[in-house]
Amino acid sequence: MSEGEKKIKKISVDRNLCISAGPCVFAADSVFVLDAERKAVLKQKGGKADSGPVEKEALEDSAVSDDVLIAAAQSCPVRAILLYDEDGAQINA
Amino acid sequence: MRTYRYLVIGGGIAGTTAAESIRQADPDGSIAIVSEEPHRLYSRVMLSKPGFFLGQIPFERIWLRKEAWYAEKKIDFIGGRTAVRLDPKEDKVLLDDGSTLGFEKLLVATGTCARKWGVPGAQKSGVHYLRTLDDVKGVMQAVKSAKHAVVIGGGFISFEMCEMFRLAGLDVTVILREKYFWEPLLDEESGRIVEKAFEAHSVKVVRSAEVAEVLGDKDVAGVLLKDGSQIPCDIILAGIGIFCASDWVQQGGVEISRGVLANEFLETNRPGIWAAGDAAEYFDIILGERTMTATWLNAQMQGKVAGLNMAGKKQPFRLVSAMSAQAFGIDVSFVGDAMPRPGRGTVLRGEPEKGSHARLVLKEEGIVGAVLVNRGSEAGAVAKVIEKNVDVSARLAELADSGFDLTSLLKP
Ligand SMILES: Cc1cc2nc3c(=O)[nH]c(=O)nc-3n(C[C@H](O)[C@H](O)[C@H](O)COP(=O)(O)OP(=O)(O)OC[C@H]3O[C@@H](n4cnc5c(N)ncnc54)[C@H](O)[C@@H]3O)c2cc1C
Ligand code: SF4
Repeated sequence: MSEGEKKIKKISVDRNLCISAGPCVFAADSVFVLDAERKAVLKQKGGKADSGPVEKEALEDSAVSDDVLIAAAQSCPVRAILLYDEDGAQINA
Repeated sequence: MRTYRYLVIGGGIAGTTAAESIRQADPDGSIAIVSEEPHRLYSRVMLSKPGFFLGQIPFERIWLRKEAWYAEKKIDFIGGRTAVRLDPKEDKVLLDDGSTLGFEKLLVATGTCARKWGVPGAQKSGVHYLRTLDDVKGVMQAVKSAKHAVVIGGGFISFEMCEMFRLAGLDVTVILREKYFWEPLLDEESGRIVEKAFEAHSVKVVRSAEVAEVLGDKDVAGVLLKDGSQIPCDIILAGIGIFCASDWVQQGGVEISRGVLANEFLETNRPGIWAAGDAAEYFDIILGERTMTATWLNAQMQGKVAGLNMAGKKQPFRLVSAMSAQAFGIDVSFVGDAMPRPGRGTVLRGEPEKGSHARLVLKEEGIVGAVLVNRGSEAGAVAKVIEKNVDVSARLAELADSGFDLTSLLKP
């Protein structure tokens, strides 16, 4: 996958776009969870969970592979999951 | 005649995900996707969402795969072609251009079609449906000059599109054949909450009414109701439901009921042929009966399971599907199979005066589905209760108490 060439540094979820469809949770349940409003949030170290942006390092599952994150972002029907590389460029634009 | 090891009919999320998971399991087998729509995979759900419909996000955001993706995955994409005949004996499919494709394994992932409106005058210019990207392009163009919209039917498409039309500056009248909005999938109390929000945003709701005729010469000028009243308009959206156009599959010896019948492995009665997505009427192992589900997540997960099974695995499909829709500040969430069919029980909970209401649908001792109006935060708990088949038969009074925490049903 060409999108996999650059390493993922940061992740965020666009809350306004998210329609609670849930595929991201199936694709990467160690990273995404639906909050009380049924919007996807990112599980972070220390039990925090919000829509980010969050450094990949700060994720509860910081060892998650880039492929899994890309698959999760690709599974979102409204493309609400945004992935950024080291230079701050969006990988899945 | 070209023969593919895997032939997928329908290039929506179910068909595309199936092709993708086949490719993961079988790096070399030939795969083709035949799709009536000429477009590569796009986000059908985005069509009726404000970001896309009102042009707030770039048009390109609609595409879910790059054009080059198909070649990268060695998947032949045959767009703008319709499968019209399945040979009842031989493993081959005839397309509308007269060509024939052979297959070793076939997937029917043809989705559903918008039901065509049968009233006199419905063919006039200005009557729209909303299912495909091309449909919505037509509607987006029309709202630029339209002022008065009539929306026919009280269901999912009307729910979302009434808000889109209001946001686009049109005045909107919605005409329901039923007594209240979204009957019978919503209970009356919940339907009234939706209607109140509509009316608070100046949408006129006409209940228990039917259109006798679409008025106008070539272009739509209004509708005449059966009670004799007229409503002028320059655009009509017919959101009167969906159906599954699978005659061609049936003639090929595949059993059809409401949808294409499939077992829990998503395989049909004809060996080597599978079904997935909106088109499939599959055996739901959690529900213990056959059902149809029209949600994105369901189509995606079924595509995945069907693809793997076509590639030689034997994995049952198991999912409590959920989706939610928002309009005019109201959130309606659906979990599982929320239709109150004969033989099923229901429990109402909520505080309608505060704008929140829910109906839980029960079969035997367990919950099988729910519609939650402004109670979306309970959707996760309900999905788990369904999935775990929790016996709630002794707890109906608690279920009806809107303060009762549903997650406590999950504790032993
Ligand atoms: C406007 C709109 C908004 C929606 N919003 C939501 C939402 O917010 N959340 C949610 O969960 N769900 C939503 N849905 C439902 C969701 O989009 C569907 O459940 C999902 O797209 C079904 O996917 P599918 O692949 O099974 O079928 P489809 O996406 O319908 O794809 C089937 C494809 O097969 C093609 N086809 C049909 N017959 C043939 C043939 N004979 N030969 C070749 N090709 C054929 C069709 O043209 C179509 O392109 C929405 C649907 C619509 C229309
Ligand atoms: S897949 Fe997308 S829309 Fe669905 S919950 Fe995740 S972020 Fe939200």
